[in-house]
Amino acid sequence: MTPPIKRRTTYLQDPATPFDPSQARLLPQALEIRNLHSAKQERWTVSVEELLGGGGAEGWDAEVRELLGSGVERLSVRWASGDAAAGAGGAVTPFASRVSGGLHKSFTRSSASSEYQFYSPLASLEGLVGFVREKVCTVAGKEGAGAEAERCRRQARELLAADSVDLAYDAESRNLVVSAFWADAPGGEGWTEDLHAPAAGSKGKMEVGLLGAERTADPEEIKMGGLLGVVGEDEKLKPTLFSFASRHHALPRDAVFSVGFPLPTGLHPTMTISLSPAALQPPDATCALHTYLTLPSYLFGDKYQLGTEDLLFLDSHHLVKLHSVTGETDLEAPDWSVSQWGSNWLLEVATPPEDQSPEKWNVTIPLHLRYLAPSESGYRSVEVPWPVVFWACAASEESKMHFNPFDRVNLGWERLFAPQTIFYQVNPAAEQGRLVEEISVPVLKENGLFNSRTIEFGTVIAIVLGSLWVLWKLGAVMRSSGARTRVESQKKSQ
Amino acid sequence: MSTPITHTSFPPKPSPSPSPSPPPPSKSKSKSKSTIFTPGKIYPLALLLRLTLLLYGTYQDAHSALKYTDIDYLVFTDAARFTAAGGSPYDRATYRYTPLLAWVLLPTTWTGAGWFAFGKVLFAAADVVAGWLLARTLAVHQGMAPARALRYASVWLLNPMVANISTRGSSEGVLGLLTAGVVYLVLGRGIGRVIAAGIVLGVGVHVKIYPFVYGVSVLLFLDGHRHPNQKNQKRGFLHRLRNEITPSRLTFTASALLTFLGLNALMYHHYGRDFLQHTFLHHLTRVDHRHNFSVYASLLYDSAAATATAAVRIESWAFLPQLLLSVLVIPFALAKRSLPGAMLAQTFAFVAFNKVCTSQYFLWYLIFLPLYLPYSSFLRKPRLGVGALGAWVVAQALWLQQGYNLEFLGLSTFVPGLFVASLGFFAVNVWILGVIVQDVGGLEAGGGGY
Repeated sequence: MTPPIKRRTTYLQDPATPFDPSQARLLPQALEIRNLHSAKQERWTVSVEELLGGGGAEGWDAEVRELLGSGVERLSVRWASGDAAAGAGGAVTPFASRVSGGLHKSFTRSSASSEYQFYSPLASLEGLVGFVREKVCTVAGKEGAGAEAERCRRQARELLAADSVDLAYDAESRNLVVSAFWADAPGGEGWTEDLHAPAAGSKGKMEVGLLGAERTADPEEIKMGGLLGVVGEDEKLKPTLFSFASRHHALPRDAVFSVGFPLPTGLHPTMTISLSPAALQPPDATCALHTYLTLPSYLFGDKYQLGTEDLLFLDSHHLVKLHSVTGETDLEAPDWSVSQWGSNWLLEVATPPEDQSPEKWNVTIPLHLRYLAPSESGYRSVEVPWPVVFWACAASEESKMHFNPFDRVNLGWERLFAPQTIFYQVNPAAEQGRLVEEISVPVLKENGLFNSRTIEFGTVIAIVLGSLWVLWKLGAVMRSSGARTRVESQKKSQ
Repeated sequence: MSTPITHTSFPPKPSPSPSPSPPPPSKSKSKSKSTIFTPGKIYPLALLLRLTLLLYGTYQDAHSALKYTDIDYLVFTDAARFTAAGGSPYDRATYRYTPLLAWVLLPTTWTGAGWFAFGKVLFAAADVVAGWLLARTLAVHQGMAPARALRYASVWLLNPMVANISTRGSSEGVLGLLTAGVVYLVLGRGIGRVIAAGIVLGVGVHVKIYPFVYGVSVLLFLDGHRHPNQKNQKRGFLHRLRNEITPSRLTFTASALLTFLGLNALMYHHYGRDFLQHTFLHHLTRVDHRHNFSVYASLLYDSAAATATAAVRIESWAFLPQLLLSVLVIPFALAKRSLPGAMLAQTFAFVAFNKVCTSQYFLWYLIFLPLYLPYSSFLRKPRLGVGALGAWVVAQALWLQQGYNLEFLGLSTFVPGLFVASLGFFAVNVWILGVIVQDVGGLEAGGGGY
């Protein structure tokens, strides 16, 4: 039978956007949403036991069961779009937190204290969506509930337009939580969809919220107002107003950063982060500006170079301190021989002195490329996701941020700070439309005249000729000494 | 160039010209009183040169984000810091040296303004002592007039490249001291000196592996000038071989081996597998795919990246021509004529045929130049000398230009640029090696202390 899924759908409207009650009509078994211009978060919570049940020993569900049964304590898979449109309107409160574009995975095992990490610069979720449509949705629709399977497929397809998708599991709750976020409805016409109540007798739930964020006196808090309801239970949506302390906060729209690698990048590209004046205004006196880099294996930092305490070096790059580095930090290995996915770097960066207010403030991070495999053109193009840039500030002792129903943790960077820390995200501003930079890497060119054979042949010929030349010279020396010895011994015997 | 990942071999640092052209042999026999080639002037000058560079380096380090100090020196001193804190020098990534170095540099971890430069001062001092040994060798063993000996020694003592490398904190100059020490001691004869030479060589091999090639030359040179006994020549091979085993050869072998093994045992006792891995195995198994002066560089990159394993991996045979020349043929052909001459040719061959080559390696043979130049055809025929020096510099410059285009402009210059440039540099090196072989071969066997 279909596992009971708790679904929570939250529409987040800007208070300035007009809203007509007819845009959200609650029927006994469904909520009709019509042309609603808003951001949206979907969250599905399902108990692992009920999702996987005692099904067969084969198939994807058996694989997942085996994985989660192997002592996984916490698993988180996060995907963020590299599309700049995602952040074009600035971060949406309370979903301000960011990770670099691509696929991030991390998990911890109960047997080991260390955390396993993985990253890959995945541009689209097509593979996952295809999988869900083909495999997962058919399971959901087993009992002839064709309509349910169709709805499942529709929702899966919607994920293709999501700005971020998170999957989280922890052994304590045994719950799998999948959430997806859209800064806007795809297509520009607003959201038009029917949210159905779970099948009768199911333990599932369909919660809906139509909310907007409001200003509060306390900068650590977020206040939200709007309508809440449970489809299939409530007769009408109920007005609500609530507030909570939040870990993640948005900065004004003009607080932006952009990333580039000045040409020529050579084998030592310098990541340049340009910050707008508004981004350089600390939210309060306890704040420090940071950037968190996710570098795929072909690009790396030198932890000794970046970890230096030499102020001349740090100042020249507008850096303050390297706080953390994890992952692959080998300084010499070529890309084909490194075993890890890449590395993460948390750097505290400098802001201009108080008496200065420059138009642009650049933070530069010297990086290095690994050798890549030869190619026909002599070049290979690699992609580097933009880092996240944020202010980290001390939160008051009593704020309880885990009460936030929209809290987001295990992002990689936030756990590197004390628990009572709040973050203000600087908004990425890409002119080219993608939060990913491309770097052209020179590699060994293999085509036409120059291929492995030529290089082998040329090297061998050079070595053989060189050796013969020196041996010939040495032979001449030995021959002359042999002749001399013979002459000497002849003299003696005479 | 202070790119951070350059410690071991990459990129080869652009080097100034290898040596100032040696002073021409004085034509006038009149003993000019105004010569600067007196110990009272040359040594202070050599020290002053190094002191100036040291102070300048300190100034640059303190005022510029671009450091004078070599990245290797930061590796050494980091390792010393780990050691001082009770850890292992191998806690520092890319520390690929003997722990001795980290131990010797422990004072760099002491608090106090000047202590950080302790290693540089030590390396620079080692340089000067090496130069003094060269002058002594020329004067004592080759019977050269002191002023003339100093003039040749100045090729090392006043060489800006040598002083620059040491004051930047690279330890290659210490190898110069060790090799100059071996030459001086072996030429000096006497059993005490033979033992001492063995110890110095043992330390040298422990520190940098490559000096092991000198062992063969020294063995052939020691007792190499006994007149072959007529009777012996008619005896069997085994008997003749036994005849080659002489007390001084045995003594030298024993003292070198014991020193080498003793140091290794000590280090192994302290640091275990880390020591073996980083000090020795790494160098034996490394596949240095990054571009460097070596003629093998393109091949190594190409084959390291190839997923399909070729039937014959050419690079795994690279040691054959290298060791055939530097360990076997050159010592047998040249060691009895001139120990330092043979050692120079060995080093030159070793570096030219090596799978990795950076400009620091050039220092390995530069130490022998003062002992070779007096009878070198590069000096006798100035056009040949200038031509060789010019070809050597130009071949390197061409390579460096390609390297710059790759590294900083991001142009794919691996082929043909770097490949052809490295072939050219190899050709020049092999040609020069041929001339050196000819020059050393032209000496009388056992003729003087050459």
